[in-house]
Amino acid sequence: MDLETVRKRAGPREFGPADDMPERYRTAATRMIQFHANSEVMGGYLDKTFTRKAPSLDRKLANTAKVQDEIGHAQLLYRAAETLGVKTRAEMLEELANGDGKFLNCFHYPVDSWYEAPMIDFFVDGGAMRRQATLKSTSWTPYAHAMDKICFEEGFHVKHGESILRELMNGSKATQERTQETFDEWWPRILQFFGPTNDESVHDDFGRAVGLKTVTNDELRNSFLNMYIPKAEKHGLEIPEYPRIYERDDGTMAVREDDLDWDEFRTISRNEYEGSHEQIGSRRRRQEAVDWVRKSLDSWESSAGTTPRAAD
Amino acid sequence: MSGTPNSERIGRADLSAEQQVALEALLFRLADDEFVHAERLTEWQIYAPTLESDLAIANIAQDEFGHARLWYDLLKRLGYTEPECLWERDPTEWTHSLLVERPFGDGDWADAVLRGYLYDVAERIRLEAVADTSYAPLADRVGKVLEEENYHREHAVNWLERLTADDDGRGRVQDALDELFPYALSLFHPGPREEDIVEFGFRTEPVAEMRTQWLETVSPFLESLDLTVPEPDEVERPDERGRDGTHTDAWTELYDEFTATYHELEFETPATLRATEE
Repeated sequence: MDLETVRKRAGPREFGPADDMPERYRTAATRMIQFHANSEVMGGYLDKTFTRKAPSLDRKLANTAKVQDEIGHAQLLYRAAETLGVKTRAEMLEELANGDGKFLNCFHYPVDSWYEAPMIDFFVDGGAMRRQATLKSTSWTPYAHAMDKICFEEGFHVKHGESILRELMNGSKATQERTQETFDEWWPRILQFFGPTNDESVHDDFGRAVGLKTVTNDELRNSFLNMYIPKAEKHGLEIPEYPRIYERDDGTMAVREDDLDWDEFRTISRNEYEGSHEQIGSRRRRQEAVDWVRKSLDSWESSAGTTPRAAD
Repeated sequence: MSGTPNSERIGRADLSAEQQVALEALLFRLADDEFVHAERLTEWQIYAPTLESDLAIANIAQDEFGHARLWYDLLKRLGYTEPECLWERDPTEWTHSLLVERPFGDGDWADAVLRGYLYDVAERIRLEAVADTSYAPLADRVGKVLEEENYHREHAVNWLERLTADDDGRGRVQDALDELFPYALSLFHPGPREEDIVEFGFRTEPVAEMRTQWLETVSPFLESLDLTVPEPDEVERPDERGRDGTHTDAWTELYDEFTATYHELEFETPATLRATEE
């Protein structure tokens, strides 16, 4: 299929593995899905911290389940990415460990307190939900299918994140203050989650033209703001003065982007932020530590000559 | 096995004071083992060797937390609160075995798999020994838990077969076995009230017999993988016992870590996310 035809046909769930897609489409779709899959894995590095800290048995169980879901999502997404025939899962995981793989800006910031749990589980995941809901209509069908299951499960995560936030904001004055401070720290990162409006890249234009993406970063962020500012306020959080948020003529909200630190954002995009080194380094070390297991598995599989049992 | 027929089982209201003390000792051991084992297993989430093994170990950890919750629920019905069971209970009152509190070395998947195996076999033997318990609410819960433990054991067995298929892997499993075995034996340390527990029929086998059964199961299997099982009576045992509340330093560290946020936040009650069981 040539690009002209792709552009013409582009629409929700329009293409699949049976179609002969041009290389540019396959590369763009792989980049996007791989980024998404990587983000699930790297989000897990943050979220797993909260399992040990959880202040109730039920919260601990819910958090364990959430971290498991993230790995399950990564598995689905890498599989969806593989259907494009550009990279194998092993290659994508290797890129993640060696620092070539890209992932969401928010997951470049290590966490160390329970107050950060709702920042990730409610706000970051809530933002992710905004984006993921639109991806149910992406043109690459295996990606859209993965989104069906992922969006369903993310709904539970966001609810749990909100429940954690509600509990913290009903805690002692000191707890409320710590939660607000943590929110102040995370808020700009969360706004940057959607990327800059004014220099939307070539990737994005192409992605929309071929139906991989259906909405712009700006639209996503506004949809997030309209939904989450009232939620944050309902739970007693104050929206920080900066970055300034203003109402547009049509009643929707927008951010003054000059108030955000885009140098930091771009450093993160290159995997060169301090936290990037820490998080990617952790990924690499953890993978290296169990490298012997994968070698052992390979030798078992080749000697046994049987199909490996998939479930474990 | 001389079990108790359903009609003769006793409920909460029938317990004498002495019986209740013995029953609580039994339940805390069950619950603490599951909780601490799960707490350690979650350390592998995101760090497991493959995405598939990550999902599997997460499943197991969640099952074990779920079992812990079942047993703590029985204790709640005897008057305990969640903070009394977990968050505010002195670390020296916990009666899990030493095996489950051991820290994992970096990348030591052999430990994770072998520990799971040693634990799951012991768990099956123990659950079978309480399947015919005289305490009705306990009997009601054993069946489901046994089913899940069977799946865990299969998972561990599959992994052990794979890892021991090459020299490097087998060497690592052997190291883990030498390291864990003395601690695993603490699974069968008779804690306080052992005689009462059997006498009142809460458990139908004494731990000494469970230990024999366990050795008769794990030794031949591990030997079939070309592993050398340490001689149980000759291994150097740690000074701590586990079941009597004495624990290794690793436990104190773990306990401090998982209770820190609870103490910092001082919520009135730990959040529950499901309807309370009655």
